[in-house]
Amino acid sequence: MTIDRRSFVKAGVAASLAAGLARTARAEAGYAPRPGAWRTFRMRTLVEIARPEGKVQAWVPLPAVNEVDWARVIANEWTTGAKASRLRDPKYGAEMLHVEWADGDPNPAVEIISTVAVRDRYVDLGRPGAAAPLSEADRTLYTGATALVPTDGIVKQTSDSITASAKTDLEKARAIYEWIVDNTFRDPKTRGCGIGDIAAMLKSNNLGGKCADLNALYVGLARAAGLPARDVYGIRVGASKFGYKSLGANSETVTKAQHCRAEVYLTGYGWLPVDPADVRKVVLEEPPANLALLNPKVISARRGLFGSWEGNWIAYNFAHDIGLPGAKGPVVDFLMYPQAETAAGRLDSLEPDAFKYVITASELNS
Amino acid sequence: MKTHSGQADVIVTMIQRLTPRAKVGRLFSRVCKAWRLFGFAIASMTAATAELRASELQVWTGGDRPAFVLPDLNGADIALRSRLGSMVLVHFFATWCEPCRDELPALRRLVARSADAGVTVLAVSVAEVDERVRRFFETMPVNFPILLDRDRAVAKAWEVNTLPTTFVLDRTLKPRLVAEGEFSWNGITAEAMMRALARSQSDPQRPKSSAEGAIGNSGSTTR
Repeated sequence: MTIDRRSFVKAGVAASLAAGLARTARAEAGYAPRPGAWRTFRMRTLVEIARPEGKVQAWVPLPAVNEVDWARVIANEWTTGAKASRLRDPKYGAEMLHVEWADGDPNPAVEIISTVAVRDRYVDLGRPGAAAPLSEADRTLYTGATALVPTDGIVKQTSDSITASAKTDLEKARAIYEWIVDNTFRDPKTRGCGIGDIAAMLKSNNLGGKCADLNALYVGLARAAGLPARDVYGIRVGASKFGYKSLGANSETVTKAQHCRAEVYLTGYGWLPVDPADVRKVVLEEPPANLALLNPKVISARRGLFGSWEGNWIAYNFAHDIGLPGAKGPVVDFLMYPQAETAAGRLDSLEPDAFKYVITASELNS
Repeated sequence: MKTHSGQADVIVTMIQRLTPRAKVGRLFSRVCKAWRLFGFAIASMTAATAELRASELQVWTGGDRPAFVLPDLNGADIALRSRLGSMVLVHFFATWCEPCRDELPALRRLVARSADAGVTVLAVSVAEVDERVRRFFETMPVNFPILLDRDRAVAKAWEVNTLPTTFVLDRTLKPRLVAEGEFSWNGITAEAMMRALARSQSDPQRPKSSAEGAIGNSGSTTR
């Protein structure tokens, strides 16, 4: 078959229009994840310590969340010339690869390939099911305080105020979600994903931040209301299928695409996916940017991100205050970035180019 | 300004001696008087600015804070108690915090112009990796120690909720004043802060907290 230039251009324009219309249609359909086919992603984390000095070691988070409905870790495999140990945190089940290089190794490097299957989540809030009850141990863990997520003082006072008129756990969970969306903002100047020092945020009345701040605030306020809740630290690995550029990884390189979400446990419904921080991300970043809360894209994301989220993201763990075995430096508030130390001290995990590490991801069955 | 005025006096006197009734002498005399008044006005404004800035510091009512020992960027341990006898500004900051980046040069200038008054600054980097802080100060040298609160234990113990936060401690190392959030240290003087400290001590609202191990007592450190 031969195609002349005019026909080729016409076909190209038609294809572009069709793609544009499809995107528009998806955007109009809004953010509506529903469990469907599983998507399998292969993520490669390459750590190459840029300036080795003395004893060099690294602690790299491994995807370790396995949930029947939405996350299956198929494999975590690594290649390195150093001593490598897969470690599991006994409290939260977080996993990391601890790599120790021989002193004087001129090129300390490790490559980790993680293969993970994920799918969209959706909980029908109109129909409570028969979700498995939470164990007492998990209820205690996920209603307890962490170093940066206290559940007393100003956190408790704020939570009480937000949930004063809520009668059920679902109403409480929703009231806190709406409060976060209405009262916080995404601060683009926040380093990395933020810190999550929620008492400081409330005391200073500076409610700007990113996911580790805003969703930690959700978790803390929910726990203070007696609802089990947890941060889910992970990384975006694929584009959003719902037309939201701001809610996906838009290139194969995802070195800076870490993102934490949140869950709240409701009897009958089980763990409910929530992500108020991503609503604020849509407000700030979704083209043309700085959208109003009444913008249809914001309304749709706001409706969707209480009870559903998209399977274009891989979860690492639920952990707070993680000690790094053998480290000289302090515990980390959460384990979402590769960590490393040399004789010069802890490296800056938020400066991947200087560190250095690169993370790439691709979908295997796309 | 005194120098300028003094020089002008000498010049006027010399001119008057040379040409006591000359019009040019009278004119110059008037110009010099105006200059003296201008100088006085500028000096008064500068002093007023310093007083105003000092008065903008909040009186600290949170009681004593625990003493600390923290490593500096060179690896030496620095004890707050070693500054006993000086007016100390304990400045909590982070290199990623924009207002902090503006305040550090202002604090450097404050230390430079207050060296004789015994004012010292201890800048505490909160929860940052050493390497980042080290790189930052390579391009912005300061004349005070940079301490590393790697696990934010001191910031938590001092109940720091926002960065930057600066506590002004009297010579016994009791916190008396505080600036929570950004603060303009330009124009403030040691003398104006001393007067603000004195006013804070006479504040009847001030609680008399003196926990064991806190600054001003002979307790232990947090590290």
